[in-house]
Amino acid sequence: MREVVAHIGYLAGGLGTTLELSLLGFAGAVVLGTLLTVMRVGPVLPLRVVGTLYVEVFRNVPLLAFLVLFVFGLPDAGITYSLFTSEAVCLALYFAAYVCEAVRAGINAVPVGQAEAARAIGMTFGQSLALVILPQAFRTMVQPLANIFIGVVLSSSLGAAVGVSELIGRTQWLDLQYDEPVPTFLLATAGYVLVTLTVALLAGRLQKRMAVRR
Amino acid sequence: MVPQKNGNRSEHGDGEGAGRGRRRRGAAAGAVLALAGVLTACGGGGGSSLPPAGGAPGAGKPSALTQAQVVAAAPVAPASAITAGSWMAKVRKRGTLLVGGTDSSAMFSQRNPVSGQLEGFDAGLSQMLAKYVTGKPSTKLSLVTVDTRETMLQNGTVDAVFATYTITPQRARKIAFAGPYYESGDAILVKAGNSTITEPADLNGRTVATEGNSTAALDLRKFAPKAKTLLFQEDGECVAAVKQGRADAYVLDQGILLGDVANDPALKVVGQPFTQEPYGIGLPKGDPEAKAFVNAWLKTIYADGEWARLWKATIGTKVAGSPPAPPTIGSADGS
Repeated sequence: MREVVAHIGYLAGGLGTTLELSLLGFAGAVVLGTLLTVMRVGPVLPLRVVGTLYVEVFRNVPLLAFLVLFVFGLPDAGITYSLFTSEAVCLALYFAAYVCEAVRAGINAVPVGQAEAARAIGMTFGQSLALVILPQAFRTMVQPLANIFIGVVLSSSLGAAVGVSELIGRTQWLDLQYDEPVPTFLLATAGYVLVTLTVALLAGRLQKRMAVRR
Repeated sequence: MVPQKNGNRSEHGDGEGAGRGRRRRGAAAGAVLALAGVLTACGGGGGSSLPPAGGAPGAGKPSALTQAQVVAAAPVAPASAITAGSWMAKVRKRGTLLVGGTDSSAMFSQRNPVSGQLEGFDAGLSQMLAKYVTGKPSTKLSLVTVDTRETMLQNGTVDAVFATYTITPQRARKIAFAGPYYESGDAILVKAGNSTITEPADLNGRTVATEGNSTAALDLRKFAPKAKTLLFQEDGECVAAVKQGRADAYVLDQGILLGDVANDPALKVVGQPFTQEPYGIGLPKGDPEAKAFVNAWLKTIYADGEWARLWKATIGTKVAGSPPAPPTIGSADGS
């Protein structure tokens, strides 16, 4: 137990990696997910089909399977990324599907009159989406997006299975050394709870401030 | 050990009408199955060209018995050895030995996907112990990891752990070890064309893969403190990492590495083992009789040649030469 506490700085470093992975993965997911939403709600049929296929494929594969394919399958095709990059990219690609669905729901929450009004004053599809609909939609999506971020944080632990030295990876390393799974995993759990509770708290505040009053 | 999979779907399905989701799921299930197939092919492909069913590839050694034949000939304990109220009596009453182990360790405990049987030295030994206690080789496997082995013994989820489980004094504070029943040592696997790595010191400054649940990771720190360690879950992944250039070398017990090399001419094992890994059978600490009983059983199968025949039927199908002498019971620090 004492040995484990002595290595708390080592675990904190792992938590840092977890956060880096989560932030990169989430940022990528939001960008890609929003693009996917634009494809799915847009007027061009082939784009709608591609967007839908993407979401359905990624939502229906376990992230671990995808990660292992990415890390051990791609090199066979001649493409090798570092393990950290691989995981960040996987998280972004994977959670983009969830972000897409959240953004789509947010768009549905914007009254249809807003889109009609935008068109009535002569805005193009792109203009009405970018200037009228998405800004309102994002305001209703604070909670769903925060949930997705929490999902990204927790899922980043799968990196331990493919050699990324994040929080769980380092926890397992300590466990290997000291055979103390209970205190090590308790500490790791505390790390995750700390992050996720903070996110939930911030999201609650942000939502109050952003809410569209109708 | 890794929280996964379950949470995602339900938590993030917010935006979706339940009915529509349900309708689509059937079609998607096919895609998942297909992908899962690809995954097993890829993930396992590195290390596990699976040993043929029944064990004997035949050609070279016509006299070798299969694992099932060795187990069938294994001894059964005399009734007098099963003292009332003991660990043994509990197992005999249940009729099945609850084993903690793995199903993905080549040569030691790997599930044959065709027959569904567990094949390997650890698997065979656990079946022989089950037969010794209950009269039939009935075992029930629970998968254990380095994180859970001691705990599952302590809380009674399993009766015994057979998992290339290195005896260490630290682990022996929590559980009891019978044995050692096998001696191995860490060796180094590299690409066949690599001539720059020949001993542990050469690993300094290189990237070295190893299994996250092995003591090799710790040994590596001792013998090559400047090596960068990559921890993977499985043997196949470590092998793939070396073949794909992600790691310069892979360090693990020599027996397991020889199994990998036997499957793949693009790889080689260099040097001699540089550590000693005495494998023990993990038993609950609370039943001192269990350890004495299992040790007595080990002595029996050492003496009547069953141990050597099992070695021949499992490890011997991948490693050339005759069976080594079994290690002396109680010789490891912690056993």
